[in-house]
Amino acid sequence: MWLWFSKLGSPRWFYELSSKWLPWLYAAMIVLMAIGLFWALLIVPEDYQQGQTIRIMYVHVPVASISLACFPLMAVAGTITLVWKMKLADMVAKSVAPIGAWFTGLALASGAIWGDQIWGTWWAWDARLTSLLIQFFLFIGVIALRSAIESQDAAAKACAVLAIVGAINVPIIKYSVEWWNTLHQPASSFSIDPVAPNPPEVWVPLLIMISAVYVFFVIALILRTRNEILQRERRSQWVIDLVSKEKSV
Amino acid sequence: MKPHRRKKLGIIIFIAAGLSTAIGLSLYALSNNIDLFFTPTQVAAGEVTPGQRIRVGGMVKEGSVEHSQEILEVSFVTTDYNHDVLIKYAGILPDLFREGQGIVAEGAMSADGTFVASRVLAKHDENYMSVEVKAALDAAGTTPGMPQGVLQ
Amino acid sequence: MPTLQFSSLSEFLQMGGVYTFHIWTVYLLFAIFIGYNLIQPRMARQQFIREQKRRAARDAELATKPRES
Repeated sequence: MWLWFSKLGSPRWFYELSSKWLPWLYAAMIVLMAIGLFWALLIVPEDYQQGQTIRIMYVHVPVASISLACFPLMAVAGTITLVWKMKLADMVAKSVAPIGAWFTGLALASGAIWGDQIWGTWWAWDARLTSLLIQFFLFIGVIALRSAIESQDAAAKACAVLAIVGAINVPIIKYSVEWWNTLHQPASSFSIDPVAPNPPEVWVPLLIMISAVYVFFVIALILRTRNEILQRERRSQWVIDLVSKEKSV
Repeated sequence: MKPHRRKKLGIIIFIAAGLSTAIGLSLYALSNNIDLFFTPTQVAAGEVTPGQRIRVGGMVKEGSVEHSQEILEVSFVTTDYNHDVLIKYAGILPDLFREGQGIVAEGAMSADGTFVASRVLAKHDENYMSVEVKAALDAAGTTPGMPQGVLQ
Repeated sequence: MPTLQFSSLSEFLQMGGVYTFHIWTVYLLFAIFIGYNLIQPRMARQQFIREQKRRAARDAELATKPRES
């Protein structure tokens, strides 16, 4: 177990293993995305309240729910950095931040566009919207903090602390719609019954889109982490060999 | 686990737990300010001073919507099934506005107890289904309950 | 059995007319989001390889060149 743990922490090992994973992940993403998009855009029937606007949900919900996974992931990586000083953990933590900012940004934007149509306003200072906006600024804060501190070790520690503190916001975002009254609707409970609110014809394509976007998230994270590995290990022999084998571009 | 690592992990968990508690308590204390709107029950309990800019949220009561003939004004009753608030509004209503729908109105209470709104927003509930499924449910008389969101 | 909701391409692009702009804007943003996060890391990687190759070439040149004194 400890051997496995320290091996997993080896950036080179991760780099080589992820090279094998990437083609499969790309294949899975293309298949899931194709099915999910086709289904969401062409097959999902018009909603009885919001009509075609329901199609926005198939982007908004996957992106928003995965955006909530980013801070906990960064906090776990940060804890590993602080306690075990594993190099790979900080590389992952650094790579998550911009991806999390993108996910949160798109969740806010797609929600605002939907709200403009359905609520009659693109923004309201309700608990859900405000806490998600705070998450967006926290990601920007983590990125800014890292670029502001020159020493790589000190930056890693500072960002780890901010990630752990910022992760407290995640349950607030999740339960905001239950704890306070908000403009945003609470989470839906899905029904297996085809003749009921939220029937399978609504949530099966949503589940496919969520898996597609999850695979995309993993790919984006691996790509950025690999770049970070190359950058930080650029003086080691295996990276020098790898660069010399690459074709000139 | 080595002792110095266990100590570090302990410190991290301790600080995180302490911060969570502090934030949790302050959010609990601020609860009324975080709520987006007052419910008709809160209005009836006198939690709202006339003239103060607030939001009121509830369901549009069935059969209460009255459009004025001459001017672009609409009046309707919003309810949380315990108390009602009469709302007057001149302006564009969102597409989703109709009887039985959750709404949030922005404005102020006037002295006579009606709420004069400057903006009306529609709430969407957490139920999604096709026109066909909705029709089938209505025919079977098992329409889903009213959205809970507005009743909190 | 699932059926297609639109009978023609133009009907599909219209998305029922009222909501056209909102729906397609969200899907456009989604495409940009996916595209950027896949392409940007690949470009950064190529940039890195280019830099490292240049550095290696310069180092090799310095190593072979006799020192002037």
